[in-house]
Amino acid sequence: MVQPVICAEHLSKRYQIGRLRPEYRTFRDTLAGAVVAPFRRLRSFGRPSFASSDVVWALRDATFSVRRGEVLGIIGGNGSGKSTLLRILAGITAPTSGQARIAGRAATLLGEETGFHPELTGRENVLLRGVILGMARREVRRRFESIVEFADVARFVDTPVKHYSDGMRVRLGFAVAAHLDADILLIDEVLAEGDEAFQRRCLRTMGEASDAGRTTLFVSHDLNAVRRLCHRVLRLDRGEIVDEGSPDRVVDRYADAVGGAR
Amino acid sequence: MTGKARSRQTRDAERIVRPVSGWPTLGLGRIWRFRELLLFLAWRDIKVRYKQTVLGVLWALIQPVTKMVVFTVVFGRIAGIDSGGAPYAVFLFAGLLPWEFFAEAVSRSGNSLVAAADLMKEVPFPRGVLPLAAVAGVLADFAVSMVILAGLMLAYGITPHVELLLLLPLTLALVLIAAGVGIVVGALNAIYRDLRYALPFLLQVWLFLTPIVYPASAVPEGLRWLVRINPMSGIIDGYRAAILGAPVDGVGFLVSLAVGLAIFLLAWGLLARTELYLSDVV
Repeated sequence: MVQPVICAEHLSKRYQIGRLRPEYRTFRDTLAGAVVAPFRRLRSFGRPSFASSDVVWALRDATFSVRRGEVLGIIGGNGSGKSTLLRILAGITAPTSGQARIAGRAATLLGEETGFHPELTGRENVLLRGVILGMARREVRRRFESIVEFADVARFVDTPVKHYSDGMRVRLGFAVAAHLDADILLIDEVLAEGDEAFQRRCLRTMGEASDAGRTTLFVSHDLNAVRRLCHRVLRLDRGEIVDEGSPDRVVDRYADAVGGAR
Repeated sequence: MTGKARSRQTRDAERIVRPVSGWPTLGLGRIWRFRELLLFLAWRDIKVRYKQTVLGVLWALIQPVTKMVVFTVVFGRIAGIDSGGAPYAVFLFAGLLPWEFFAEAVSRSGNSLVAAADLMKEVPFPRGVLPLAAVAGVLADFAVSMVILAGLMLAYGITPHVELLLLLPLTLALVLIAAGVGIVVGALNAIYRDLRYALPFLLQVWLFLTPIVYPASAVPEGLRWLVRINPMSGIIDGYRAAILGAPVDGVGFLVSLAVGLAIFLLAWGLLARTELYLSDVV
């Protein structure tokens, strides 16, 4: 029995409403609170505190596993917990309860900001991501050409990323995730930013990566892409896994549930 | 091209994702593994600071020299502060330069997490690297200005003496305090965005509570305790004593070192505990 590359058990994540896109708290208010109830503050420092009426369970009791080389599709409506799940698996945010074991380094493509430092140039950011993944600089430089070519940003490679258009950032983000040394790819939904040709290139690359033994978790609203590319699909609804199985079956059932076109 | 298994992978084969509980281990080993990242960020920080100014590296020299002249004239001649026999310029800068390092390091590391918010929301790495890299970058400036101070000392005829060796442990203590405070400010800044506006003011107040412009002996007896509990006082006094060749207040220095280490460890632990929460709010 081959060990799964990712094994998630009862992952749950709770957010306080207003914290999903946080309005910034002020230090002044917190300081006043600390004076009034200092020990409560200290015990729960660093962990968000919840009034029970304010919470939202972004993810609830997610249990599943992924095999090496598998492309797992994750579909569901907005707010179903797909992005939260990827962020937890990537190690960017902590679950409220449950745990997951992940064997291997994961490269991420999670949002429009796509994991770049805005003040650094494209070239520097590629090196940065490579270094974070634990690659030697020599190795990163070897891949640099193909990354830039895939992303089609050669002219802007020495411009700070904050000047990039959303499309450029996504293209570079995917190129970095796909070409650097990582055993797992966590891709969330941003491919729609690129044009048709780019999206086709991405799908083809993900297919090749899977053949080469890399595992991919692919969150997408593009149901056709999910059908074509994925070996298995999970469907989330309001934070829970409500369906699991072959792409065609799960997508069909989802389409029926939503009442839209297949 | 897109993915042969790496033999390096077996080294840290498995990662476990779980809720934050209690106080996590300090994770200094993790930082060591990410040392390349730290060096990359620090080096880049230094490069940018000097590339962006028109004068480049020259700016690193002009700024402290100009400041030395202005301060010496204002505080030494005009305000007429008595520096106890030593040339006022050297007296002033022996204390001011380490302070400047502290203030700048705290400022930059205080901002480091927010500046890298995009990166933090998407890519996993020990967040402590960000403030540490900021401190390392400022350390380079500090080194340059200390070289200039050395030049100044020679100009005043102060010859090298054995007390200068104390600068090494003193600098270690200084870096620990700066890093510790910087990490706390950085984390707090990520959570409470209004802190940024208060910070310059708070640092100013801290500056005046530290005997830099004036010697500790000038502080009236009733207010001495304020100066004593200030961990920077021992460090600044130590720097001054080491540079001017006076006897170092051993107890004061050790207290400052202990406080600095405590601040750093506490700050580091705090960051380890709140790291993952920061990505949610930054």
